[in-house]
Order: sequence, then structure tokens, then C-alpha cells
Amino acid sequence: MDAPLLAIENLRTYFYSRAKQAFIRSVDGVSLDVERGETLGIVGESGSGKSVTALSAAGLVTAGPGVISGRIDLHSSGARRNLLDGLERFVRVKEQEGRVMAVEKDERGWRRHAETLMEGVRGKEIAMIFQNPRSALNPYSTIGKQLVETIRLHTNFKGESEAKERAIHWLERVRIDSPGLRFDDFPFGLSGGMCQRAMLAMALSAEPSLLIADEPTTGLDATIQSRIVDLLAELKAETAVATILISHDISVIQRLSDRVAVMYGGTVVETGRVGEVLAPGVKVRHPYTAALLASIPNAETIRRKSYLQAIEGEVLDTINVPRGCRFYGRCNRVTEAIRDGCAGLEPPLGEVAPGHKVRCWLYPAAQESSA
Amino acid sequence: MSRSILDVTDLRKHYSQRRGLVSMLTGEGRVIPAVDGVSFYLRENETVGLVGESGCGKTTIGRTVLRLTDPSSGRIVFDGRDITNLSRAELRPLRRQMQMIFQDLDAGLNPKMRVRDILREALTVHERPSDAEIASRIRELREQVNLKDSKLANFPSELSGGEKRRVGIARVLAVRPRLIVADEPTSALDVSIQAQVVNLLRDLQKNLGLTYLFISHDLPVVELVSQKVAVMYLGRIVEMGLAENIAHQPRHPYTVILWSSLADKQNTEVSLFARGDAAAGRERRTWGVFDFEQPVSGCRFAPRCPLYRDKGRPAVCTDPASEPQLRDVGHGHVVACHFA
Repeated sequence: MDAPLLAIENLRTYFYSRAKQAFIRSVDGVSLDVERGETLGIVGESGSGKSVTALSAAGLVTAGPGVISGRIDLHSSGARRNLLDGLERFVRVKEQEGRVMAVEKDERGWRRHAETLMEGVRGKEIAMIFQNPRSALNPYSTIGKQLVETIRLHTNFKGESEAKERAIHWLERVRIDSPGLRFDDFPFGLSGGMCQRAMLAMALSAEPSLLIADEPTTGLDATIQSRIVDLLAELKAETAVATILISHDISVIQRLSDRVAVMYGGTVVETGRVGEVLAPGVKVRHPYTAALLASIPNAETIRRKSYLQAIEGEVLDTINVPRGCRFYGRCNRVTEAIRDGCAGLEPPLGEVAPGHKVRCWLYPAAQESSA
Repeated sequence: MSRSILDVTDLRKHYSQRRGLVSMLTGEGRVIPAVDGVSFYLRENETVGLVGESGCGKTTIGRTVLRLTDPSSGRIVFDGRDITNLSRAELRPLRRQMQMIFQDLDAGLNPKMRVRDILREALTVHERPSDAEIASRIRELREQVNLKDSKLANFPSELSGGEKRRVGIARVLAVRPRLIVADEPTSALDVSIQAQVVNLLRDLQKNLGLTYLFISHDLPVVELVSQKVAVMYLGRIVEMGLAENIAHQPRHPYTVILWSSLADKQNTEVSLFARGDAAAGRERRTWGVFDFEQPVSGCRFAPRCPLYRDKGRPAVCTDPASEPQLRDVGHGHVVACHFA
């Protein structure tokens, strides 16, 4: 079998909070694969680390004294590149009895090296679209101009006129009406949905091997959302570009993903094919996934006007990460038999069925893989 | 049947927009009808959901019925009293009976005050209770919204989204309101926290006999909490009725599209387009955004209406003299469409 397009291995992305003298452990040991042509959905609440995982892969984590470790291997154009190669040289963490005392980071060296690593990768191999498309577009330039720039930079369409032709082709492919006219529009003249289409055209025009779509439908109107989802589904079928789709909207993930990873508190708590993880009536799943699905009103709760099954408590604070399972404090499925494990030791991601992994002491697979 | 607490008749709110120096000098400008002739009522202890796309006038209605924004015309009757033209001073004693929960979690939370002082301020706006009374009311409010005792000493910036929302609700409850306009109360929150807040709002309604105007674009939540739902399009209510009827037997083509867009998103099947149904795909693509700049003639939904297209563009839909009015189709279900 081919190596996966992108292999994230034990990724840790920490940010150091000077005020609290502690690390914010945004991503805390995430391993994920993205195969060629597949869509991997990442679902989770805010602060679960889903966006930071993707930003790390795109080399866009720049904040202050952040720390990244692990590997992110990109296999494309016949080569393998570790996108984090050598970055650890630029950071020194002083610890004393498990407590971080100080972080020394050569910010300029780090940034320069990160940029070298990302050369020919970001924008070309890995393209991104974001939640707020308008802020990702240059307000002083027409969308046509921005598209042409991308195309001339990243593809073999170097000439002005052939690049323009190509740009109009892409505007057409993202179903923008009268692309010839829209070519000369500025972002402020376009609606939110239209801006997202333009962003998508720009991302795809570089013909990337991986598209990262970070909350592409959030903040758009309901009717526009479903159109963007339709468009993503169509483009997925047409271009076969591998995609990491990040959303807190489970229905969007369900509709577009082949596989899904559920994140909580900086870790992946469950991963598998979307039908196995998010379909109704599945018996084996992480209590967090189950609770998340149950907290959304469905036909039954609406008909009976019953209460929603809320997940008690708050989203995990990733500074003071507990020793045991990160979901322990909010979990409603802790039994006496496993309580000690839940409270004291973080369960591993155990395989409960081929390709379906759950990080929970409820399942024997977790106990086996830790043994 | 409980009596109505809020009666709104033919409410209009027009904003005028002036562009450039010439129109400023001549006093000419475009008029944007954010709310354009809306009538509805709320019964005591009832929830009415207000849905529609952004820009359709939902929030403007919420603000106008509370007189936070002045209406251009129409009548607002609160608890049997016409409040349309009351002065600020006359409104003041009524303010405590009608409150608003804003979408913004930080709205109303002074960043330089501790939670305890925020609540104390809310309690002393309309009354002068003793310190002992204040302490017991703060405890009561804290329990009503399930806020931890330790959080009272925190500043808003130290709270999570869910806690901020709870404090915001406690602050509103402090004046013992009867009517609450909840403007997107859950949309800024995480999924798992949304459910807590929805449950809390329903509990409070049951225990305190509150009436809600619930503004949201989250259709399943609206359907869950509301007895009645009003669907707005471009400043007008195009359909209104019992929540289950609006959700499951919608009559207006816009309502159909709104609810089916939800089903579409959840649909795990291949999309229409991918099935090779190119015509349907094209139709979806042409679904633009509504635009106040297009002059309305006749039905304002006609430019986007699939029914209008299917019927061969009947003249009545675009006849300026016959904008469809809400008519009863049974069980208090009203719809504004010539053909629905």
C-alpha cells in the first residue's frame, strides 16, 4: 500500500502562557493519517485542538513561544518531507520537577527555518480555506487579480492571458455565475457565500494535493451553508483532492467525510470511518462522541419536546490537564470496574474494530494496547 | 387560554441610507425596509421562534418590540398597554418587565467588574434593596442559572463561554422580567454547552412563567423550544404557525427551502448534482442572496422562488398591487403566498 499523503505522528503543539507560567497544551499527542483523495473530518468543540492541528500541518503556528514536536510527513511529488524537521533546535524548555520554569525560543531562527520547510508546500501542496473568507482575501485587489497571482506562482500557467483564462475556469468550477464579470469584483462586493467560493477557487487553482478546510460553512446562512456543502461534495468528486475538513457541525462532517477523528482536549478520542463513528445506533463509541451526538436535537427529542442530554461541566482546560482520561470529569459512563483507570491513567487509542479506534477504558482494546 | 402579553401590529422599521454628498444635501436617499409590516402576538408563558436568514430583520424586530430601537410605524402593545410612543421616562418602569439576551456573550458584562458586582448592579437598577436582600437574591440567581459559588468573585474574562452566558441570563433575571427576547442565545456557544443553555432557558420558563421571543437560525433548536414559529423573509413574516407544522408541513416555498437546506446538510447520500441531476444542481447554483437594492414588486420572494418558476412565472407574483398577504390555511397556520 502507498504511504499516506500526510502522516501526522505524535504532534504536540503547545503555547506558553507567561501570565500563568504554564503551557497551554492545545494539541497533545495527535497522530492522524490522510490518504490520497480522502476527506478526513475533524470534529470537536472550540479548544479541542482541531484547528491548531491543521495550522501546524500548514506551518501557520507562529504565536509567541509556541512549541511543536512530533512529525508531519508529507508524501507528494515523489518525495517525503517532514514539515517539522529540525524545528526543535530553536526551543529550549527548562523544567523543574515537571513544572515548566522557562521557555527559551529563538523566534527568528524558528521562523526562518519554518519558512524554508514550507517553501513549495504551503499554498502549493497544502492549500487552506478558512472560516471567514472575507478576511482571507485582499480587500484592495480584485478576486481575479488574486487568482491570477496564485496561478502564476504555483502552476505552469505563467503567461498573463493564460493565467486569466485559467482563473475564469476556476471561478466557473466553484459555480460562480458570470465569472467573466466577477473576475473584476472586489471582495467587498461579494456576499459571504460568494467569497467562500472565491477562496475555494484560489485554494484549488494551485492544484494542491491536500486542502485544509477550517470551518468552511460556519458563519454563513443556513441556505448558503448547504450550497457550500454541496459544492465541496461536487468538487471532491471532480478533483479527488485529499481534504482535512474541520468543523464543529457534525452534520457537515457526516455529509462530506470518509473518515472522521473526534478531538477532545487536544487529543483524538475516537477515529474511524464516518459510518462507524457518527452513524446513529452504533454501540461502541467514545462516551464523548455519544454525548456530543445526544446533545443535538433530533427528530425524537423534538417530537417529545424532551430535554436535551447536555454534557455537564465545561470544555477541558488544556493548561491543567488531568492525569487520567481527559473526559473523566464529564463522563457519564464511568463504572466502578474502570474508575481507577479513568482517574489515574490516560487510556490509549485502542482498536475496537478494523480501522475504528476509541480512547476509553470501557473497551478491552484499550486495556490490551496498554498492557 | 392565557392572554397575550405582546401584540405587534403592522410594525415597520425603515432605515434610510444616504450615500455621498449630493444625496446628503438634497435629503434623498435609499430607504431600507428592515422590518416591513409585521404583525404577531405572544401569549404569556409561550415561546415564539423567529427564523430567517441574516439580514431579514429578526434582530430589528426583537429590538423594536422592546423599544430599544424606535419603530417607523405600527403598534406595539405590551400587557394591554400601547408602548409604541412612550417616552424614555415612561418606558423606564416597563423596562424591567421586558429584557433581552444578546447574541454577544460579553454584552452587558462590564469587564472591570466582578460577577457579584455585575449582579448587584442589575439588582439595584430599579430598586433599593438592603444588603441582606441583595445577598440572598444573588444566591437565588446563582442557583437559578446553575453557576458555581466561586465564580461570583471572577471577572468576566475569567469565565468560559457557558459561564458568561449564565451570568448574562442571571443579570436579565435580576429584574424579574416577564418577557425575554433571546437573540441567538446559543449561537456563540460550543455544541455541548448549547444543550445546557437550551435546557436552562426551558427550565426558567417553566419555573418563572417567562415568555420568550426566541430568535435563532438554528432550526432544530427553534423547533424544540417554540410553540409557534414565524419565518421571516426580507422584512416580512411569510409563514407562521405551530412549530411542528412549520417544520413538517411547511406551505411557503421559502420555508420549504429553509428546512430542506437543513436536511440537505445532514443528508449522507450523494448530492443531487453528483447523481447527475444537472438541472437540479444548476437550480441550486442560481440561488443568490437577497438584496434590498432590488425594488420589490409583488411577492418579494418571487426572484428566488422555485414555485414561481415552475408555474411559468405567473403575473400575479410580480404584480406590485398584489403583494401576497398572510392568510389562514387552518389551525392558525398563516402563509403569504398566492399558490401555497
